[in-house]
Amino acid sequence: MKLALLLLMVATLSYSQSLGEKVFSQSCATGYCHGAKGTPAGAPRLAGRDFDQAYITSTVMRGLPGTAMPAFGSSLSREDLIAVIEYVASLNGIAHPVVNLGPGPGTAGPAGPPLSPEAERGHDLFFDAIRGFKRCSTCHEVNGVGIPVTTPITKIPADAAALRALKTPDVETATVDGESMPALIVSQGKTHELFYDLTSVPPVLRTVGPGALKVAPGNAWQHSSVIGSYNDAQLDSIIAFLKEAAASSPQ
Amino acid sequence: MRSLLFFALAATCATTNAQDAANFGATHADWPSYGGTSFSWRYSALDQINTGDIKRLVPVWQFQTGDYNENLQATPIVMDGVMYLITPRIQVFALDAASGRELWHYKYPTPRPGKPGGMTFLQNRGVAVGDGKVIFGTTDNFLVALNAKTGEEEWKVSVDDPRQCGCDITAAPLIVKDKVIVGGTGGDAAHRGYLTAFYTKNGRFAWRWYVIPGPGEKGHETWKGDSWKLGGGAPWMTGSYDPELNLVYWGTGNAGGDFNDEDRLVPGAKGKEANLYTASVVALDADTGKLRWYHQEVPDDLWDFDSAYECILMDRPINGQMRKLLVHMNKSGVTFVLDRVTGEFIGAFSTPEVQTWISGITEDGALVGRREPQAGQVVDVCPSATGAKSWNSMAYSPRTGYVYAPINEVCNDLRSASTPANEGRFHANGGFSLKLPPNRTTYSHIDAWNPITRKRIWSVPYKYILLASMLATAGDLVFTGDPEGDFFALNARTGEKLWSYQTGAGNRGSAVSYSVNGRQYIATPTGWQQAITGAQLSPLFPGENWRGGSTLIVFALPEASK
Repeated sequence: MKLALLLLMVATLSYSQSLGEKVFSQSCATGYCHGAKGTPAGAPRLAGRDFDQAYITSTVMRGLPGTAMPAFGSSLSREDLIAVIEYVASLNGIAHPVVNLGPGPGTAGPAGPPLSPEAERGHDLFFDAIRGFKRCSTCHEVNGVGIPVTTPITKIPADAAALRALKTPDVETATVDGESMPALIVSQGKTHELFYDLTSVPPVLRTVGPGALKVAPGNAWQHSSVIGSYNDAQLDSIIAFLKEAAASSPQ
Repeated sequence: MRSLLFFALAATCATTNAQDAANFGATHADWPSYGGTSFSWRYSALDQINTGDIKRLVPVWQFQTGDYNENLQATPIVMDGVMYLITPRIQVFALDAASGRELWHYKYPTPRPGKPGGMTFLQNRGVAVGDGKVIFGTTDNFLVALNAKTGEEEWKVSVDDPRQCGCDITAAPLIVKDKVIVGGTGGDAAHRGYLTAFYTKNGRFAWRWYVIPGPGEKGHETWKGDSWKLGGGAPWMTGSYDPELNLVYWGTGNAGGDFNDEDRLVPGAKGKEANLYTASVVALDADTGKLRWYHQEVPDDLWDFDSAYECILMDRPINGQMRKLLVHMNKSGVTFVLDRVTGEFIGAFSTPEVQTWISGITEDGALVGRREPQAGQVVDVCPSATGAKSWNSMAYSPRTGYVYAPINEVCNDLRSASTPANEGRFHANGGFSLKLPPNRTTYSHIDAWNPITRKRIWSVPYKYILLASMLATAGDLVFTGDPEGDFFALNARTGEKLWSYQTGAGNRGSAVSYSVNGRQYIATPTGWQQAITGAQLSPLFPGENWRGGSTLIVFALPEASK
């Protein structure tokens, strides 16, 4: 019994350490960063530094501001975080690491239901870097990625035709220095006036002094003019992605 | 008589034109661009401070940015007596260049965080000034233009999403006519590198050139499968521009998946051009961004030897014929001399004393005897992935005809392993461990090279490593600094150390020279780098304490002696 318990403990420890070492080799011992098993490489040695547990946990979770050490708190799963923290602790002679991540972190773990294959395609199209600025995320942010030029997408068009025919009542006509352009007005304060110039993609956030901006309602600008890199089937996939993303969003 | 007069006139014109061309790269009262001028000489035509009076040089003002956690790498830009300086946390200062008095101050709001595990760095190497604006990149990939008089934002545009690409902008942009051109980081990340041009007037998009050609474009066939989509190559430093040819020159980054080419090399391409146009010098049409010519320096790079550094443009006679040249040092320290009209290879020379990654270079520029990393093994090569030279610039003096370069003698053990490319994540396909070459007591040197004869004229050894840029002046002086904090001047013709000043913090920046009301100044940023190359190299010298900081120190001759 005692032996069995001991064996179980050893098995647990070695399982955890091997996962930790695996995470370490994939996320820490790469390229410009640390060497294998905490040896010095691009980044400093981590083995045998007499780090204490709290320091290791906090550095892994939050990174070291002002250095190349990133925060892993939101990029690794909770399981991977605990394993890698325990691994670095073991490299520093901490025999029985007690890792307390607190509530919240480890958000890269399973979150919400996985996307359907079509929505997954839509996700990749929405953020498709190969399209350069001609992708949806040039102006729209979804789930924390993308440039939030516009307000969050709340009304999702039914299909590609509806997306192409989308009305954009917020787009107005701005006139600055005698030049008129399609614009999204951000603010017209006493000291500054801010607007997005939609003449070309990507939109440009421009700032002018008070009174320099004249705004007239409406503009001939059309949403269909900026989604030309996608065909109808692709737009349908993007719509599927937006619907599933909205359904799983905490809001 | 008449024909004689004509001849005399023609001769005068020819001389003037030749002199104009010969001096185009020199700065005068201003230091208008990252590399001095768009020829990237880092050479000032001012000679009030010279070999005769340098010993009397004293500090006259200093400016502390307050961003002491990172360091100060930026090249200050000076225009009409105003200095523009940017810090890693994107504070921009306009200072009276004669006194250091602050004219305005801008602070960028807290940037959106980048992709964890990406290639975003807290550092900034400078602003571009032109069209009445101060333009710079940010850690979250915006390009921002301020009003140069007031420091107020005029426009701001997102070049890419750091939460997806894992990249950011650390280089100073380059203003070319009505456009501003900027690159980004991501050479070692799963990301497809590019240069983007925007109109200075309103920030609108002008053109983008992808380092990696897309389907149907020439060069695309040098990428295996889909590897082109995330193949790296980001041009992360600042380019040069020749207004007469209307060509922009830029060095590109290495292919991502640095140390293992299994996933990116087309079968059978070993030993040929590969993964175009990474690790190359390219010439682009300044108006359209279209590729005019390229020269790939390291085909199928496996050592992280990118070509992202400065392109020095100079006109020099070769075999009695004036040639328009481009001199470019690869991270390996191999320096290429190209015809900048056609891209024709003219010659190359290698600067590190310990070189094992190749056994040599052929007369037509091919690398021979490549010692490549091997999957599952540790292969030791010199120089290291931190570079025989890092991003810090060389300087060129038209008076001596020499280029001045700080060269590091550091080796590394390379590990190679094929790993999947995840968009925006670091993708090195292995790693490196730095080490010092045996049987040496000095690990860097400052060299003067004649790029035409490919001869090293002089070399001054230094016991540690050197990571600051060079500055050359018409006073036949060369300035740079070291990690111990000494900022010093060498005789440009002999290398003799003529003057030195302890700045109190490590030097990892780029000094400039300018004048206000007839008084010449030398300005240098100070503060050792806490991240990436500086931090990587420091542990090679345990016990040394190379101090951080963020102070600009400005020197001049005492007032009475000007």
